[in-house]
Amino acid sequence: MTDFASEAGSSASAGSAGSPEAVRTRGLTKRFGRQVAVAGIDLVVPRGSFAGLVGPNGAGKTTTLSMITGLLLPDAGSVEVGGVDVWRDPVAVKAHVGVLPEGLRLFERLSGRELLSYNGQIRGIPKEEVARRAEELLKVMDLADSADKLVVDYSTGMRKKIGLAAALLHNPDVLFLDEPFEGVDPVSANTLVEVLQRYTSSGSTVVFSSHVMELVERLCDWVSVMNHGHIVAQGPLSEVRGGHTLNDTLLDLVGARGGGEEGLSWLGSSSI
Amino acid sequence: MAWLFVRLKLRLIAGNLRGDTMRQVGFVFTMIAAVMVAGGGFILMSLLRLAPADVAVDAGMVLFTLLTLMWVVGPLLVFGVDETLDPSRLMLFPLTARQMAAGMFAASATGPWPLASLFFLLGAVVGLSRSATGVLIGLVAVVLQVALCLVGSRAVTTALSRVLRTRRGRDLLAVGVVFVILLTQVPNLMLNQGLGGDPREFLSGLALVVRWGPPGMAAHAIADGGPLGLAEVAIVGLVVLGVGWLWIAALRRAMVTADSSTQVGSVRPSRFDGLLPGGALGAVVAKELKYVRREPRGRMGWMAAIGFSGVLMFSLSSGPHGLEGSALAVAPACIGALMIGLQASNAFGIDGRALWMNAIVYSSDRDVRTDFAGRHLAVSLVAVPLLAVLSIAAALVAGHLPWALPALLTATGLLQVALGVGAVTSVILPYTYPERINAFTSAAPGQGGVAFAGSFGAMLGTSILAFPVVLPVFLGLGWVSVLTVPYGLVVAFAGRRLASTVGYARLPDLLGAVSRPS
Repeated sequence: MTDFASEAGSSASAGSAGSPEAVRTRGLTKRFGRQVAVAGIDLVVPRGSFAGLVGPNGAGKTTTLSMITGLLLPDAGSVEVGGVDVWRDPVAVKAHVGVLPEGLRLFERLSGRELLSYNGQIRGIPKEEVARRAEELLKVMDLADSADKLVVDYSTGMRKKIGLAAALLHNPDVLFLDEPFEGVDPVSANTLVEVLQRYTSSGSTVVFSSHVMELVERLCDWVSVMNHGHIVAQGPLSEVRGGHTLNDTLLDLVGARGGGEEGLSWLGSSSI
Repeated sequence: MAWLFVRLKLRLIAGNLRGDTMRQVGFVFTMIAAVMVAGGGFILMSLLRLAPADVAVDAGMVLFTLLTLMWVVGPLLVFGVDETLDPSRLMLFPLTARQMAAGMFAASATGPWPLASLFFLLGAVVGLSRSATGVLIGLVAVVLQVALCLVGSRAVTTALSRVLRTRRGRDLLAVGVVFVILLTQVPNLMLNQGLGGDPREFLSGLALVVRWGPPGMAAHAIADGGPLGLAEVAIVGLVVLGVGWLWIAALRRAMVTADSSTQVGSVRPSRFDGLLPGGALGAVVAKELKYVRREPRGRMGWMAAIGFSGVLMFSLSSGPHGLEGSALAVAPACIGALMIGLQASNAFGIDGRALWMNAIVYSSDRDVRTDFAGRHLAVSLVAVPLLAVLSIAAALVAGHLPWALPALLTATGLLQVALGVGAVTSVILPYTYPERINAFTSAAPGQGGVAFAGSFGAMLGTSILAFPVVLPVFLGLGWVSVLTVPYGLVVAFAGRRLASTVGYARLPDLLGAVSRPS
């Protein structure tokens, strides 16, 4: 069983041996007032997979990811990342995961380069090593020209890219991305996809949430479908979607079919 | 069209108040203030009647001009561009610029403050007019003056709306607020120091400056009541039309010009960063030093602290109860140190939603302690030289340069105490700083109470803890100041220790508290 505590410093070994699951939650629950956002889910993500967490707005995807990454205290249940309990041994987990949260919450008044440098240094990576990695990441992400602009002036696509660069800087074993492609232009999205595919091909794990089914279908080999705080389907992509497209499968699973044809008779150029 | 805009404005005011008790209370206070300005202004202006005729006219002209200035500058400083009146929100409707101008004029005439201004100005008709024609001309002049305030205010905000929508423009404006507030202290100081000479001469000097400005002419016309007054009213009318035309032109431009906010320059890589040690502590210090420079909310606090201490330096010595002796040198530096230190009473607020970046890394209370230490070191690196300058300046004003030393030592010690206390309030009473700051809110909706408790608690805690070492210095025992720095460092260390233990345990709560939508 490989856990993070025993392999500190050598994160390249992920994927081959040890715990078969990169992420496992048991009965994970979160309530906001009377509303149950996440209702005791058992999420499983196999090691080395490119996993998609999909579902309509308000399904509980963001809340789930926040609890898994230790940013939100669960009301009940447990989370294991790489076989280590997130809330019992945060040191081991935090050193080995990378996170790109929902929204674009970055230190706005640092430049892209300074943001990466800050990020690497608070993680205890030597200054010169941080600078070397940052330069490479900036280049790969096509941000070299904007490296000295303040993050507050970045476009959405640039912010996602610098956020991903910050999440990759310490070479994590598992990467959690919340809506990484939302509001991103096709060129930036392509860069993000290339970097992520290179990352998973080495045996690391990516978990990302998305509304864009085509993208999930193209990238993922594992999907978990959430609706109203429950996991309604989970497994390898081909199993979950059967013979249909993922989009159709999702619409069937969450029961959102039809109802669009009544009313609006005046809309369109055939009416007067 | 105009009526539609008036209803839109009323709807927005009502919608803003729905379900939020704090805002309802705030609105009631606004109404009370507006009624007081209206009533008080009316009475005050009416009372000008009792003054000699020339003094009354001078005061009228100065007050009219002041009111106009307030209208032009006020909305820029306090609200930026508010919802009803931001043309970019109305751009997609099929409206001509003229329709929009009429609508927006009507909307800006709706609300408590335009009415209060009207009453205030009507008081001038009572106070200044000396004949029946004066009253008639006065009524016209007052209406034109209100129109001038509205149109002038709209024209300036519209012309600047492009700048206000860029990040740099808003940053500049935020700093401008402090500058304007400090500027208002200048006449006060001048009078205090006796620089202005006889108040009446001072007034007539001011009146001479504003005599031929449109507000000055409007006030003068009321008092004149004759052909000259009529001509002046006509000129004011023309000016209103002219400014209105400029406003429409600015609107037309604003509706079709692009937002230039992404065309911005780069920052230079800091050479100072190379001197800092690597690792978490150095990284936090480097980040905080950049934030002092680049974050307008932070800059505002620093400028306010230095400016306020500068004002105090002069005002403490004047008046019948003025301070004397070394306290005169020590007090301004200490106030500056306290104000700088109090900014740290919600340390994570300035990080806001970016705090997750630290939260996903920090995995023991030691990490949080390093974070606090970095923040305190960065603040001290900037503050101590500033306090030194303040101390020397205050000692020179007080007339005895050696007093600068106890002043600097005491202020530095006090700063450390404030930082230590601030660390604890940061983790116990964290709150969100709103993205857009103005003079009235310093916290996200619903967190006003926490913000008040936090700053007040920090101030109280600092005062109590600093009392034993600062008081003797104030009383003239200068040598005690030697003890204040070590004492302050001990308090700061203890504060960081306590804060990191509490803070690490509730890191997710902290994150939630400083990431409220605002």
